[in-house]
Amino acid sequence: MADVIFIGLSLASILLLIGLGLTITYGAMGVINMAHGELVMVGAYTAVMAGIYLGVNLLVALPLAFIVAGGLGLLIERLVIRHLYGRMLDTLLATWGIAILLQQMIRLEFGLSFFDIHIEGLGPGLQNLAIPAFLNQAWMIGDFTVQPYRSFIILLTIALTVVTWFLLYRTSLGIQVRAIMRNPQMAAACGIDVKRVSAYTFAYGSGLAGVAGVMMAGFKTVAPDMGSSLVVDGFLVVVVGGVGSLLGTVAASGFLGQVNGLFATWTNDILARAIVFGLVILIIMWRPQGLFSFKGR
Amino acid sequence: MTATLNHRRLLEIAAYGLFIVVVLAMPAFMDAFWLNRIGKYLVYGMLGIAISLSWGYAGILNLGQGLFFGLGAYMVAMSLKLQSYTSLQQGSDTPVPDFMLWNAEPGAVTDLCCISQASFLWIPFQAQWFGLVMAVIIPTVVAYLVGSAIFRLRISGVYVAIITLALVLLVRLLIIDAQPLTNGFNGLTDLGWLTINGFEFDPYLVETYYLIAGSLIVVLLAARWLVATRAGLILQSTRDDANRARYLGYSVAAYQVFFFTVSAGIAGFAGLLYVLSAEFASPTFMDLAFSISMVVWAAVGGRSSLLGACIGAILINTIEATVSESEMLKEAWKAIIGLLFVLVVLFLPRGLAGLSQDIVGFFESRRGGKTAAKPGIAASEAGE
Repeated sequence: MADVIFIGLSLASILLLIGLGLTITYGAMGVINMAHGELVMVGAYTAVMAGIYLGVNLLVALPLAFIVAGGLGLLIERLVIRHLYGRMLDTLLATWGIAILLQQMIRLEFGLSFFDIHIEGLGPGLQNLAIPAFLNQAWMIGDFTVQPYRSFIILLTIALTVVTWFLLYRTSLGIQVRAIMRNPQMAAACGIDVKRVSAYTFAYGSGLAGVAGVMMAGFKTVAPDMGSSLVVDGFLVVVVGGVGSLLGTVAASGFLGQVNGLFATWTNDILARAIVFGLVILIIMWRPQGLFSFKGR
Repeated sequence: MTATLNHRRLLEIAAYGLFIVVVLAMPAFMDAFWLNRIGKYLVYGMLGIAISLSWGYAGILNLGQGLFFGLGAYMVAMSLKLQSYTSLQQGSDTPVPDFMLWNAEPGAVTDLCCISQASFLWIPFQAQWFGLVMAVIIPTVVAYLVGSAIFRLRISGVYVAIITLALVLLVRLLIIDAQPLTNGFNGLTDLGWLTINGFEFDPYLVETYYLIAGSLIVVLLAARWLVATRAGLILQSTRDDANRARYLGYSVAAYQVFFFTVSAGIAGFAGLLYVLSAEFASPTFMDLAFSISMVVWAAVGGRSSLLGACIGAILINTIEATVSESEMLKEAWKAIIGLLFVLVVLFLPRGLAGLSQDIVGFFESRRGGKTAAKPGIAASEAGE
């Protein structure tokens, strides 16, 4: 039973890692960022490239991926999303276009493959990221096997959640973000620079996606299309949890992760995912505003 | 004012007429291979109509249209699978799909009734008409049930998009999981041909093309008629302001359910036609990417124009087919599509149809007397 809970916990931590960035961008800005999965992918490739060219391991790649994905997020916000505030469904469509663009950029090595120039670590193929040795050795507590890498993911997710909570609830920038979440016009009227804060928020959410990508790279093969299925999972978590609610996102990812893990052991992975989807549909129909939500917007 | 209106109407009729003529004249310029391809893209055009109807006219962004397309495709593919030689030559009196035998437990009775669990569901599909009818009925019924549940709860906007999206992925997983019944990932292949009165609709025959083209034209005109009816107008009012429509005494949910269902029925019919042309049905029809692609086509063509969305779908796919001769160009094309889509959402929210309307409007204002609206523009044009 402890094994099952541990599997559920590690599934949940990945959901949370992806959902954390989304809940910020979606909750604070009303942007449905379909390119979030691709930002995860960019983070994963950052780790791969850092391993090849800088010779650094996964731990060093974490802040690197945060910066790369965050910078990319800032760029996307400036070029596209800024012009679409208040048009939620249009942000969904535009970011879908961005998602395809990012995938193809990696696949075509920024277009260089047309000139027969190839960059190691990019291209349409699969990439692998080596996990540092100390995260690779399983050890035992009693008869319970602890997988260090999975544990590392869980710990890192908790740390990131705490950091995000601190930023949102204990800093002046966080207060501004929460004010924008509740009512952007009123926030602007109170002298908050909504555009600037929104840009930072989006960059931070994107940076979290990049960090998630590094962690994903450790136990999944890295490929240009690895992000597209993640964004769906992330969204389901965010919507079930309640828009803009950090607590809701944590609870929803924990809940859906456990359900997924539990049914995966009873039946199979495919059916478990189907059950999660079914559950999500029912929850959204029952409470479209999500399980934890405040009145706003 | 009435003069302009008549003018607009005339132009619209001309656009529809031109489209129909071009579609019908296509076989004169194409070999069988390309005709088959264009036929498939006409089916995509029908999907564009379905999206335009629900998204452009009803304001319901359905990200799970692939569900209805896929259901339609599977229904007719089941019938055609049973007519295929691969099902007839299995040494039993009644046809049995080959993959069922591969998946069967040793010693199982080789008959549809009991070769695997739930394989009896295939029995009525031995009649071709059953598959054809079900291809439209099943998507319609599913859409009615789903739509009723969603819209009676007054769920709207992005939540509809997320529910439909989760739904199509859910059904996709179920189909993949039900391997003995549906052949899982591989889908239904090696299908027979549609046979009516002894005539076999070989996908590469010109008759099959005309079957698809004729269906598309009928659906296009019927949808155009539908949105101009009183019901269609009320529907558009619910899109623009659901609460006001409610205050005026209209049952918003009823109109939304009706058009959601019609749109699903069209998508199911498109699935049917696609199988006739492509000779397979697979879970890829229910991929997220395919459902969103449909929305992309409609957005590029013009979401609130039935003809625009239809042409958008046909155009994008035809260009894709011509560039995908080389693998590199194909990948680059995808990037271009991504970029194009961002640009369309940013700068052309009404798509190509909106652009052409603007162009027509511009020339009208020029011709309608230089004293009229924009003397500045007219002057600069004259200067060139």
